[in-house]
Amino acid sequence: MQAPLLELRGINKSFGPVHVLRDVALTVRAGEVTALVGDNGAGKSTLVKCVGGTHQIDSGEVFYEGNPVQVHSPRDAAQLGIEIVYQDLALCDNLDIVQNMFLGRERKRGWVLDEPEMEALATATLAGLSVKTVSSVRQPVSSLSGGQRQIVAISKAVLWNSKLVILDEPTAALGVAQTAQVLELVRQLADNGLAVVLISHNMNDVFAVSDRIAALYLGQMVAQVKTTDITHAQVVELITSGRSEGLAQ
Amino acid sequence: MRASAPSQEEIRRQNLGALLRFVHERGQMSRAELTTELGLNRSTIGALTADLTEAGLVTEEAPRETGRAGRPSLVVRAMSETVYSYAVSVEVDQIRVARVGLGGVILDQRSASRPRGETSDLISPIATFIRDMTGAGRCLGAGIAVAGMVRHEDGVVHLHGDLPIATLVREQLPDLLPQVKVGNVADLCALAEHTRGVAAGCDNVIYVYGDVGVGAGIIAGGRRVTGHGGYGGEVGHMVVNPSGRRCSCGSKGCWETEIGELPLLELAGSNETGLSAVLAVVDRAARGDAVAISAVRHVGDWLGFGVANLVNIFNPELVIFGGTLRDVYLASAAQVRSKLASMGLAATREHVRLRTPALGVDAALIGAAELAFQALLEDPLA
Repeated sequence: MQAPLLELRGINKSFGPVHVLRDVALTVRAGEVTALVGDNGAGKSTLVKCVGGTHQIDSGEVFYEGNPVQVHSPRDAAQLGIEIVYQDLALCDNLDIVQNMFLGRERKRGWVLDEPEMEALATATLAGLSVKTVSSVRQPVSSLSGGQRQIVAISKAVLWNSKLVILDEPTAALGVAQTAQVLELVRQLADNGLAVVLISHNMNDVFAVSDRIAALYLGQMVAQVKTTDITHAQVVELITSGRSEGLAQ
Repeated sequence: MRASAPSQEEIRRQNLGALLRFVHERGQMSRAELTTELGLNRSTIGALTADLTEAGLVTEEAPRETGRAGRPSLVVRAMSETVYSYAVSVEVDQIRVARVGLGGVILDQRSASRPRGETSDLISPIATFIRDMTGAGRCLGAGIAVAGMVRHEDGVVHLHGDLPIATLVREQLPDLLPQVKVGNVADLCALAEHTRGVAAGCDNVIYVYGDVGVGAGIIAGGRRVTGHGGYGGEVGHMVVNPSGRRCSCGSKGCWETEIGELPLLELAGSNETGLSAVLAVVDRAARGDAVAISAVRHVGDWLGFGVANLVNIFNPELVIFGGTLRDVYLASAAQVRSKLASMGLAATREHVRLRTPALGVDAALIGAAELAFQALLEDPLA
């Protein structure tokens, strides 16, 4: 089997007296969706922020493509090809889709912005992900629906030749039709060869698209199993009590 | 005894077919790519494309910009605008007709609603739409996708009695349509997804299509499994619950009496019908409506139950949920996969991927058109 893209070993993180992550291990493979589940306060967001360089880990090792790496800032993470899409999406309402996708990393031709090139790249990225819901890449983001915004935010993450995309609750607050589209997009990312980490509270979303499920309980990684080997009831047990009877690990 | 070696003529026909199929299925492609993909000589590719260009099936043009050094390789593209077939999809509550160009491009499309459960006249609206969409160029015929059992031999459909739909449509438009082929909707959706959708490159696929009834298009070892008479894949009548509801087929507890549109709507207390009603139930469930949640879970459990059986029997690499089952699957994936994890054999469930269609509602039309393209792809210059 292929070496994992990202491997975390023995990650610890405390905020003052609060020990948030305790010896956490996590393996993320290319071409797979790894669902990260856990109750509120289990440490999902902290773990993701450690991977993304927002927080510094206290101890532990991070391996990326088999090599030990240190991620000190979000810029380091971006350099490695790690993109995180947070719940608030961080899109600018007054800018259009192309401007948002290239925000802060605009392409230039000489002194001026290379608009045709950026537009073509944005269009190609959306087409590569079979996105059909956006009619024009020059639409301002303020005119898009919640689902379309999510799709733009995810596409933005893909545009940068990223290898690992982490999605924090991408279907929260979306209608049914839009949830379906976002889930299909998440699946498409992994089928295109990216590694995807999906944080979600919705068990249907988790089971619909994930290949593996990693469960955090009070800051500890209590299980990481293939989705084909686990039932809904067992995942719920893991989330609420940190263990599950009869689960082969 | 071995059959005698193929003649020059046969080899050429095969190569022409292979090249045309490549451009048809994968989209435009440079001569250089074709050379590598087909494993043929550069000059052979040149001669083949020249023949196909002369026959008006493909066109060659200079690529816009390659960014590479050297003389750019010409790009070969299917003549989608002038070589086409008609695709018809007869569904529970509507009829859709499209004109589909070589390369699987939908050029034009019409639809009309159809009263449910009636043997209303299907033929004249189909003929009207086809006449209405007539375009310039070469028409290869028509393919019809029907939500019913289709006799392989002559395209007679069992739909409220026998309906020789292929013959009837052809009689209406003898000058326009050189051939009319008929297939089951699930089979054709599977064909479409296999040709240019989510199942491209997969040789063992099950496409489970659901609306009022449930059927499956099964591809095993790269071939469509349609059975002796063409009726294979009627998974909706696989008995899963012997103490269940009475089925329209006369049996009891068929799969479609647990996962079809009707049981879902009935359990959710909905009086409407169709995809919009199913979506409304899924939406209610997402918003926390207890009745809708339990209806979706019930259907999800049974969906997983049947899929686990199919996975154990066929060991597919891909199971696709189409029709109303796409939304039902996404809304009840936890139940479906739990059943699969507990009922599927470890070896068969290990590599199976569960997916929703990439072509969406167009799959039936694209698959139907594919039927009409088959003859041309086998012998492009005939």
